[in-house]
Amino acid sequence: MKGVWLVFKKEILEFTKDRKTMFFTLAVPIILYPLLFGMIGKMGQREDQQARSSQTRIALIDPSNVIESLIQARTNDFTLVPAPEDDEKARQAIKDDQLEMLVTLGASAAQDMAEQKTVAVDVLYNRVEKTGRVAMKRLEDALRELNNATVQDRLQKLGASSQLAAPTSIQSRQVGGEELLLAKLLGTMLPYMLMLMLFVGSMQLGIYVTAGERERGTLITLLATGLPRHEIIWGKLLYVFFMGIVNSVINIGAMTFSMGTLFGGREVSDGYAAVAAEEAAQLSGIAAVVDPTVITLTLLLMIPLGLLFSNLIVFLGVQAKNTQEAGTSMMPVVLLVLFLGVFSMAPGIEKMGILPYIPIVNVSLVIRKLFAQQASVMEYLTAFCMTVGLAVLLTYISTKFLNRESAIFKST
Amino acid sequence: MIHVVDIHKTFVVKDKKTRKKKTIDAVKGISFHVKPGEIYGLLGPNGAGKSTTLRMIAGLMEPQSGSITVFDHDAMTASEKVRRCIGFLSTDLGVYGRFTPRELLRIFGEFQGVDPKVAERRGMHMLERLDLTDFADVKMESFSSGQKQKVSIARALLHDPKAVLFDEPTTGLDVLTAKTVLDLLKIMKEEERAVIVSTHVMPMVEQMCDRVGIIFDGKLHGDAPPKEILSQYGVGTLDEVFFKLAADGGVA
Ligand SMILES: Nc1ncnc2c1ncn2[C@@H]1O[C@H](COP(=O)(O)OP(=O)(O)OP(=O)(O)O)[C@@H](O)[C@H]1O
Ligand SMILES: [Mg+2]
Repeated sequence: MKGVWLVFKKEILEFTKDRKTMFFTLAVPIILYPLLFGMIGKMGQREDQQARSSQTRIALIDPSNVIESLIQARTNDFTLVPAPEDDEKARQAIKDDQLEMLVTLGASAAQDMAEQKTVAVDVLYNRVEKTGRVAMKRLEDALRELNNATVQDRLQKLGASSQLAAPTSIQSRQVGGEELLLAKLLGTMLPYMLMLMLFVGSMQLGIYVTAGERERGTLITLLATGLPRHEIIWGKLLYVFFMGIVNSVINIGAMTFSMGTLFGGREVSDGYAAVAAEEAAQLSGIAAVVDPTVITLTLLLMIPLGLLFSNLIVFLGVQAKNTQEAGTSMMPVVLLVLFLGVFSMAPGIEKMGILPYIPIVNVSLVIRKLFAQQASVMEYLTAFCMTVGLAVLLTYISTKFLNRESAIFKST
Repeated sequence: MIHVVDIHKTFVVKDKKTRKKKTIDAVKGISFHVKPGEIYGLLGPNGAGKSTTLRMIAGLMEPQSGSITVFDHDAMTASEKVRRCIGFLSTDLGVYGRFTPRELLRIFGEFQGVDPKVAERRGMHMLERLDLTDFADVKMESFSSGQKQKVSIARALLHDPKAVLFDEPTTGLDVLTAKTVLDLLKIMKEEERAVIVSTHVMPMVEQMCDRVGIIFDGKLHGDAPPKEILSQYGVGTLDEVFFKLAADGGVA
């Protein structure tokens, strides 16, 4: 078994001798993720700030002054602008970002109100824009206040209890906490990223030590030494496996770290409308992702999965006539991994009964559930054992296969 | 001793045009023996089967039939032991471009089970003899083919092998460097190693080999000292032996 270690050492040494490869493998994720999330964070913040700082420009047609004074009182939220001449002009003005909403009340609104009728409030706004949604929330808040006051008033006149208007009242108690929302979202994305990184990250390195060695004419010098052939193969397997794990650890690390620092520190603003509060709550949920148990269990799963992938890479690498062919032959596998990843990300997929028994998909599924704190021990063990079994089987097959001389001396 | 007895090797290749499988009989029953302290020359034109024969002796390929023993180890059942006592130089000129010669020799010393200190000393000694000491710590990716060949030779001899198998060691080398290599081979002979060299450079064989085997189309024609071969064919140079074989279509 000494040969396995020696070959592994040689591959690692060769890897470290090439600064460029090393940079792209190890340093890029460390730089990329903070940059990426930093940018997303900045963009989100700017949009928030824009929506928050600017008041909603509201055009109000309210001849009998039912809500005008109410709107005017909310100087933080609203600023009144002159109403466009007709509906068509108002539409255009909203599209052109000259105002956020047009609110119209009938001429008899005040009278209707006094007669205890329902007053229709017509609102024209753009739901697609965040500013539009914020405007609507603000208007709803304002009207709710008015409604409550009016109902209390009417009930009092009737001499009835104020509870008459509120047959039910919700007092919610959260089970998972709002932060789980994003953890769950992340749980669906992370296994996919991880699996892709595990494969793609070690693919090029795997090609370099297999098809590449043959292409450069060094493989034969390695085989001509006294090392047993299967130990050479295992040494290369160990290297590809190791680099895949290193890659995914670096990627998870960089991802969770940059998300943790960039979003975790963001304040949940209280004064701001519910739209932003909801988002902020989701973002602070990243903290749940940094749960060490979840991370450890996830990394543990990467071991058999990495073994499976490295076998596939080495097998295809030795199979190919040259590095180019090796790259081409691995494309379908990359696509398959991509597909399985996307597949297991699909909403509701976790309810399919056979999924826990489909290799690779079950790993992705379990990771997804781990992050949502829904994984069962049984499912975890099934995924783990199945992947281990498959990896061992593939190691056996590829060792057998690669031992054949036709796998080493390709006729060109 | 190296014993090669009636080995056969067939390759199956695919003809891209006819889309049919084709068998190539690369080696069709070759036998010869090499004693320690002897240089055996394998001569033959391109595609004759020289490299295939050497690879089989080195335990890198298995013959379909026949047997090979190298210092009492069977090349098929004990190929690791065989490889440990063989210094093999292939024609590929493959060196690890990211390593320096010193690093390469240290790594291959480990692979061959040589003590690191001994490997370092032997390796440096070899590089000195091959006039490459100045480049011992330069990355090999920039090396010329001659420099690569020299490093490969040092690598092949690092573990003090009892048998030395060199496949066209002087190809691509200038006359001076070629002479260095040939001198090295003579030293190998004096050190009582069994040496097999393949080549199609005739003069080198004539002045150096104790015995030669002429491979033509996978078969051995003549297995004797160079002088005897010449008189056997009634010609003055080995080149003429080739011409004669080619004219007869390999039937001699
Ligand atoms: N791996 C292989 N797959 C298929 N055919 C092969 C393989 N290796 C060698 N051959 C074929 O076997 C025959 C002998 O090849 P070999 O390399 O032994 O010749 P050689 O005597 O070394 O020639 P050269 O002087 O050109 O190096 C050739 O026809 C070659 O095409
Ligand atoms: Mg050859």
